[in-house]
Amino acid sequence: MITQVSDSLYTQLVKTYEGNLPTSEPHSLDEIRRQAFDRFKSQGFPTVKREDWKYTNVQPLVGRGYAFEAEPAALDEATIEAAAIPGLDAYRVVLVDGIYRADLSTAKDVPGLSVMPITEAFERLCFAKYFSEYADKTDNPFVALNTALFTQGLFIEVGKNQQLDKPIHIIHVAVTDRPLFTQVRNLYVMSTFAEAEIIESFVTQTGADHNLNNVVSELVVRENAKLQHYYLQLGSAQSHYLTHTEIYQEKHSLYNHYNCTFPGATFVRNNINVRLGDSEVESHLYGVTLTAENQFVDNHTIVDHLKPHCESYEWYKNITQDTSTAVFNGKIFVRQDAQKTNAFQQNNNMLIGEKSAVYTKPQLEIFADDVKCSHGCTIGQFDNEALFYLRARGISEAQARVLLVHAFAFDVTSRFANTTVRAYVEHLVEKGLKVG
Amino acid sequence: MSTKDDELLRELALEEYKYGFTTDIEMDIAPKGLTEDTVRLISAKKNEPEWLLEWRLKALRHFFKMEMPAWQNFEHPEVDFQDISYYAAPKAKPKLNSLDEVDPELLSTFEKLGIPLDEQKVLAGVVAVDAVFDSVSVKTTFREKLKEQGVIFCSFGEAVQEHPELVKQYLGTVVPQTDNIYAALNSAVFSDGSFVYIPKGVRCPMELSTYFRINAENTGQFERTLIIADEGAYVSYLEGCTAPMRDENQLHAAVVELVALKDAEIKYSTVQNWYPGDKDGKGGIYNFVTKRGLCKGDNSKISWTQVETGSAITWKYPGVILKGDHSVGEFYSVALTRNRQLADTGTKMVHLGKNTRSKIVSKGISAGVSHNSYRGLVKIGPGAENARNFTQCDSLLIGDRCGAHTFPYIESRNKTATLEHEATTSKIGEDQLFYLTQRGIDPEKAVGLIVNGYAKEVLNQLPMEFAVEAQKLLAISLEGSVG
Repeated sequence: MITQVSDSLYTQLVKTYEGNLPTSEPHSLDEIRRQAFDRFKSQGFPTVKREDWKYTNVQPLVGRGYAFEAEPAALDEATIEAAAIPGLDAYRVVLVDGIYRADLSTAKDVPGLSVMPITEAFERLCFAKYFSEYADKTDNPFVALNTALFTQGLFIEVGKNQQLDKPIHIIHVAVTDRPLFTQVRNLYVMSTFAEAEIIESFVTQTGADHNLNNVVSELVVRENAKLQHYYLQLGSAQSHYLTHTEIYQEKHSLYNHYNCTFPGATFVRNNINVRLGDSEVESHLYGVTLTAENQFVDNHTIVDHLKPHCESYEWYKNITQDTSTAVFNGKIFVRQDAQKTNAFQQNNNMLIGEKSAVYTKPQLEIFADDVKCSHGCTIGQFDNEALFYLRARGISEAQARVLLVHAFAFDVTSRFANTTVRAYVEHLVEKGLKVG
Repeated sequence: MSTKDDELLRELALEEYKYGFTTDIEMDIAPKGLTEDTVRLISAKKNEPEWLLEWRLKALRHFFKMEMPAWQNFEHPEVDFQDISYYAAPKAKPKLNSLDEVDPELLSTFEKLGIPLDEQKVLAGVVAVDAVFDSVSVKTTFREKLKEQGVIFCSFGEAVQEHPELVKQYLGTVVPQTDNIYAALNSAVFSDGSFVYIPKGVRCPMELSTYFRINAENTGQFERTLIIADEGAYVSYLEGCTAPMRDENQLHAAVVELVALKDAEIKYSTVQNWYPGDKDGKGGIYNFVTKRGLCKGDNSKISWTQVETGSAITWKYPGVILKGDHSVGEFYSVALTRNRQLADTGTKMVHLGKNTRSKIVSKGISAGVSHNSYRGLVKIGPGAENARNFTQCDSLLIGDRCGAHTFPYIESRNKTATLEHEATTSKIGEDQLFYLTQRGIDPEKAVGLIVNGYAKEVLNQLPMEFAVEAQKLLAISLEGSVG
């Protein structure tokens, strides 16, 4: 039954692709799209038989009908206000159902910073150079689908030697009033010696219909550039996300990713792949996931050491409540050339919900010998002795639990470069926690 | 430095496989190919009852329907199942009553292997041995003494004849025919193996041991081991394997099933030294084995210890299903690969009962251009209150062309369960080497020392006789690996 329906979505997609090939695009893009669509057609939607989707069943998601084009729906100013991070002064960029809204964005006329819809960036030199260069090398069928069908998204370029004075806050709002399947494509390029902070919030407007967002972002961090990148997943139950973030780092660059998911969005699958493409590169991936009710959150990360003398550090924390499920899959590759690599990965889980589940797979694949790689993984719950200790000191049980979760998340939150974002995340963790 | 490395690596590659002799014995070999008739032939040769033949045929039908999996971390070699002979046995002779009647060629083979088949030697070693030569169990020592205690230790074929009710009750209950393609194949064509039954409350007075040897060309070895420890029983079982050097690959697809009832304990140790192929990866054994234990009763315990140095490809995951409350599963493994060897091995711990505990210690060592993977599953079912798991898997890399990989699957569906997993990958510390060489120990010995220390936690789990052999095996395999 399900196969039948998803087949129909599949057929619908095929028709859409064949029906509206935009003609104003450069010829090379047409070719990329065609190849991508062939890849998607040959793979179809992934099933749980595929190793990467073992715990993640997308069939119910793709087994229903969607519109593919966003129609202008009434955006409530309050939604944007609610998504603002208290106390954070930032350049704001708003994407409504994936479409860039110039009228709501404030990242304009900033020296050294270009922000525009991706459809206007086709002629840029770095678009030609980097677009689909990295993400499409993976075998994620949703990337192929996105490449073939995207009509919206964001392009950001931070110019050479530019150090942005304020972070860029991108707010992705789901507003749609009918079931919608969006294909959002982003490309962020950090030029040499550039420094920036990008914070992305994913929110849903109250009253929005069922939406499935396939967001593919490609990031290039060029020589000596530094980028701090935050994901704050704050969508509500109608929203479903498939995100694929592909980062390519050049020599002496630094990339930090902070991936935070809170109770709300029913289905979240994040693929975060970092390729350390040259020597002396540093990457940090941090994650804190708090889930509730029947949420399903899956974080798949790849840290790919291609060259010697690089360092990577990854730490993911999951807290599952109610009947929610958290999946973590962390892969570290150390290629044959990548001698003198230091790679660390840790995943800690607090399984609190009576019927919640945690599936984790910390994976190392090492082809070089002069390396130091380690990973650790734990699954546990509230420590009764710690709870007793706190309660014996007159702290209520509810408060004690909040404190313990706070402490659990601290390893990760304390690494946040931006203290305002950190305070905001800590507040959201506390808010999302059901205690007592 | 690097020239020395190269030299030593070359030496290492040439380190000979000392068990690579063949034995000329008149063999009874079934024609190549696999059909229902093959299965009928095997069954008839073994004079098996009708139900077992049916059971085999059912497995064969499953086998024909199954597809080769693709998830493993090596390229699965093309195995032509029709190009293998599924039965090879020393020419049928009247039933043997004493060792004198065993073919002297065979005895000398076992002597070369260092198996104390000779009863006197056995007395010295206090080990009861069942030797499986190609597909047939040749000789089981110490039968009488074990019988006094009610312990049944015999070849699988005999067990089918003499204790059909036990075989029928437990066969296939831990590893179902449909478990995987090689388990299905084994279920259809298994020819012999060992059978152990320890009655209620008996502590088996000696270590039980089986030696497996593939001798004939173009045959696969498909033995089946079934060990049952009744309530309160204890047994320690050892398994060793060797094969002659041949240019073509040979298939070894065994199934081992362990059943521990209430308060019972089974300790299963393996020293696997099948022929690994030559330095270019030519020949060698494909060791595709399904091993699983079931802690059926409360307070039962199953412990796997393995030292894997042989085989061109090792692909196995000895696991424990912790069904009984308070049951314990353990897995200790050292896997050493060199030249072009491939290993994808690890364990499965499935926690179903309350207060179940499991511990996994896996040490991988890769040298040359080999690849060594740890793949493990720890699964906590919703009913496994207070389940506890600890996993440690370390990898040691020797040389810059080899690979070490870790694929742990950790799944928890119970909020009272506590799981820990840690893994490290590194090479032999230069400071450690320096420390030892500075004290006059040559680099080769120093590496041996370090590796033995690294693997000690696992080697300590082996029974005495095996621990010594395993240590030697590691040292031989490592000779000249680092300068």
